[in-house]
Amino acid sequence: MTKLWNAQLCTALGRGLRLQSTAAAYFPSEPASPVLKTTIPGPKSSERLAELGKVFDNRAAYFAANYYNSIGNYIADVDGNQYLDVYAQIASIALGYNNPEILKTAKSDQMANALANRPALACFPSSDYQQILEDGILAAAPKGMSKVWTALSGSDANETAFKAAFIYHAAKKRGNNTFSPKELESVMQNLVPGASDAAILSFEKGFHGRLFGSLSTTRSKPIHKLDIPAFNWPKAPFPSLKYPLDQFVTENKKEEERCLAEFEKVIQQWSTQIAAIIIEPIQSEGGDNHASPSFFQSLRDLTLKYDILMIVDEVQTGVGASGKFWAHEHWNLTTPPDMVTFSKKFQAAGFYFALPELQPSLPFRQFNTWCGDPSKALIARTVYQEISKYNLVENAATTGAYLYGKLESLSGEYSSIFNLRGQSTGTFIAWDMSSSAKRDMFLIESRKLGLNIGGCGDVSVRLRPTLVFEEKHADVLVDIAEEALKRLG
Amino acid sequence: MSVPEVTPAEVYYPNEPAAPSVQTAEIPGPKTKKALEELAEVFDARCAYFVADYDKSVGNYIADVDGNVFLDVYAQIASIALGYNNPALIEAAKSDRMISALVQRPALGNFPSAEFADILKDILKVAPKGQTKLWSGLSGADANELAFKAVFMNYQAKKRGYNTSFTTEEETSVMENAIPGSPELAIMSFERAFHGRLFATASVTRSKPIHKLDMPSFHWPKAEFPSYKYPLEDNEAANKAEDERCLKIVEELYKTWHCPIAGLIVEPIQSEGGDNHGSTAFFQGLRDITLKYNSLLIMDEVQTGVAATGEMWAHERFNLSPPADLVTFSKKFQSAGYFYHDPELTPNLPYRQFNTWCGDPTKMIIAGAIAKEVVEKDLAKKISVVGDYLYAALAELSKKYPTEILNLRGKDRACFIAWDSPSPAARNAFLVNMKKNGVNIGGCAETGIRLRPTLTFGKKHADILIQAIDKTLGEN
Repeated sequence: MTKLWNAQLCTALGRGLRLQSTAAAYFPSEPASPVLKTTIPGPKSSERLAELGKVFDNRAAYFAANYYNSIGNYIADVDGNQYLDVYAQIASIALGYNNPEILKTAKSDQMANALANRPALACFPSSDYQQILEDGILAAAPKGMSKVWTALSGSDANETAFKAAFIYHAAKKRGNNTFSPKELESVMQNLVPGASDAAILSFEKGFHGRLFGSLSTTRSKPIHKLDIPAFNWPKAPFPSLKYPLDQFVTENKKEEERCLAEFEKVIQQWSTQIAAIIIEPIQSEGGDNHASPSFFQSLRDLTLKYDILMIVDEVQTGVGASGKFWAHEHWNLTTPPDMVTFSKKFQAAGFYFALPELQPSLPFRQFNTWCGDPSKALIARTVYQEISKYNLVENAATTGAYLYGKLESLSGEYSSIFNLRGQSTGTFIAWDMSSSAKRDMFLIESRKLGLNIGGCGDVSVRLRPTLVFEEKHADVLVDIAEEALKRLG
Repeated sequence: MSVPEVTPAEVYYPNEPAAPSVQTAEIPGPKTKKALEELAEVFDARCAYFVADYDKSVGNYIADVDGNVFLDVYAQIASIALGYNNPALIEAAKSDRMISALVQRPALGNFPSAEFADILKDILKVAPKGQTKLWSGLSGADANELAFKAVFMNYQAKKRGYNTSFTTEEETSVMENAIPGSPELAIMSFERAFHGRLFATASVTRSKPIHKLDMPSFHWPKAEFPSYKYPLEDNEAANKAEDERCLKIVEELYKTWHCPIAGLIVEPIQSEGGDNHGSTAFFQGLRDITLKYNSLLIMDEVQTGVAATGEMWAHERFNLSPPADLVTFSKKFQSAGYFYHDPELTPNLPYRQFNTWCGDPTKMIIAGAIAKEVVEKDLAKKISVVGDYLYAALAELSKKYPTEILNLRGKDRACFIAWDSPSPAARNAFLVNMKKNGVNIGGCAETGIRLRPTLTFGKKHADILIQAIDKTLGEN
């Protein structure tokens, strides 16, 4: 009886806690609103950045942060300013600054060990690595995925996935493990047949990283690509939908059909084999471009029809922000993707897969010195466990719905913001402004008002808050956005 | 008053084992086998030699889950600088600075921490001579590809003018991955070189087919790296001729390759490719040719760097004039990236050399701590003394086993020593049997055996290693 009562009380308390605020539970001293002490950037920031500039390219830096004083959804700078952060290290902080549970993990002996004795994981795996994977990265695996290969960044994750795709198709064609003398000889000259002439297809406005293979699939902006040699790989159009969606149902359906037809045409006409396509559930760097579940289902059908692997790039969309743990879960695909890549909020990076053949038949082919980093896998485990414990995916969904509603009202009042998108994708919300200049001014004004916020594409503003972003934070965000819009006139 | 010198290992590791301890009849032992079966269900475990117990590993000894304790002269493929559970690194790992960097990993390009400049300066204190700046990455392959990007952007900037705007044609064509926006430019590398396994780095890697097969690759030129005859002192004329032959090939490629060669990447000692050495004259020759053909020189110090050869950076031994344009690092430094000095190797605009994290402060903190220990404890010099001792002992041993220890190399390169076995099969058997005799040791290329111990490897460890080699070869 007492036990039952206790259990009920605990559940109620737990629920109450969640209803009250996970952020308040984690961060009792989180500020209620931004704290502004100086002009932005302040004098100390400018001084630190100038010092940094002597040895490191500092021209993209907004301010010098003080991470010791940052807390929850608020990032502090060295001048004592505290900003509400809805950019969160380019969408890569999951649980807020100085999250006590991540701190605990960081201070653990297991972490110190992983840092001081970083293993070459594939050759000398640590005795705890399997458990770390199973309790964290793999526990969070998308439906239908049971294996993982770990890497170091989103680019690295995508490139290792490309390698798996190329090796998979070559092995399928070859039918056995024996390389011909001609293959063995030509590959050392970087020539076919040993080197492959197969391709990865990506989409216009897609962003998949900036190494040479991933950059060849990145199609976001010239500045990301200029002067870097690239593979001649195919691209297909990504739908440009009109907003609000409910007013353009027919047009948008037609746009998706156009893109699918174009996609199929590219596949049919491309002169070499297309080993895989890579696509983001929401094109993030490229402007937060969305497409419907049926568009993605059709892509999946076409990839199956043409024996092309499907890689879903969840580097930015993954780990809860979209209101599902993995954004592609919104699509309910009849057949899961072949590979799903991750990084950013998970801190650890890599790709999930299901097909055993995506692991090359010989060892040392998908291989490198470190093959990942256990210190990041430990962080990923805590991130996953906390998300589960506090239902933070649900929090992103409900907070997102609340925030979207408020922004919708705002866009009714201010004609300078339009194409509001992300209605049912959690806090993964964005809108457009009339020009790049206007967008950039909006970001600067917001920062001056204590809101650290980022752009994407040419004219978009994107929201990438943490998973402990709640209605009270949304209110602060909307107030500041409105003030910034007023100031812009 | 003469006090016997206390070695770095004795200072750091009062509890380091005195000798290896082999508990299981077979390596890998039963617990490793079971653990690997489980790991294999979720992660490719086929390259694993054993499952390690890093809690029980100390100094130069690595423990496995079966209770075996090996003297480790492979050290996580040459990436453990100071030994396992080094107290200075554990301290760094538990520092406030580290905890903060772990919990809120910054997007360093956008939101560097106030102390980031200090963290960098700890690394730059040991920058190669002539290098003053750095850009950070995450691994050796990443470091090299970032260096390539800097080289390509610099090449085009020199052509167009550093501050000249892009043309509309460049901006349009680049989105199609086509010229002129995506230019046809190349990086030259050498036969048997290893620079990583991402797409551009795999294109310059020429070590083994298995590293490259089935990957799309850039059609970039490959020169020949000298193949010396050993011992060097008996083959001076032949080796000099070999240098000249290889340099001529390099120059010929610059003259004839179908597109401009923007940079040349070379390891001071080709490591994965077989521990192939080149002379100072050869490297100065490369420097001269790259200058002549307006091409940048990238020294890949991923494996050779951080005092492993007895100098902080192996290429400092060559005293190149002028210094290399870029020097890449990773492995023993844990952090990765490239050093450089020409301000125009920083692209003209921000966001060109850029990514989310732009490196990892947690690894840079470790690198700074390693650099401090190397300098304060004079580890480069100490490992050189041990290397001389070890080399001499191996030279003796090679007289006892003249058909088993061939082409001993790495004299005067601290413990960065290698030799060849008579065949790949003999080499592989040797590596396996050495584990049974308590030494974890690695190979390179087809027949090479390479020593990559930590910087705290001492004479007493060298003695154990020599005994184990003697025993293993004697068992044949």
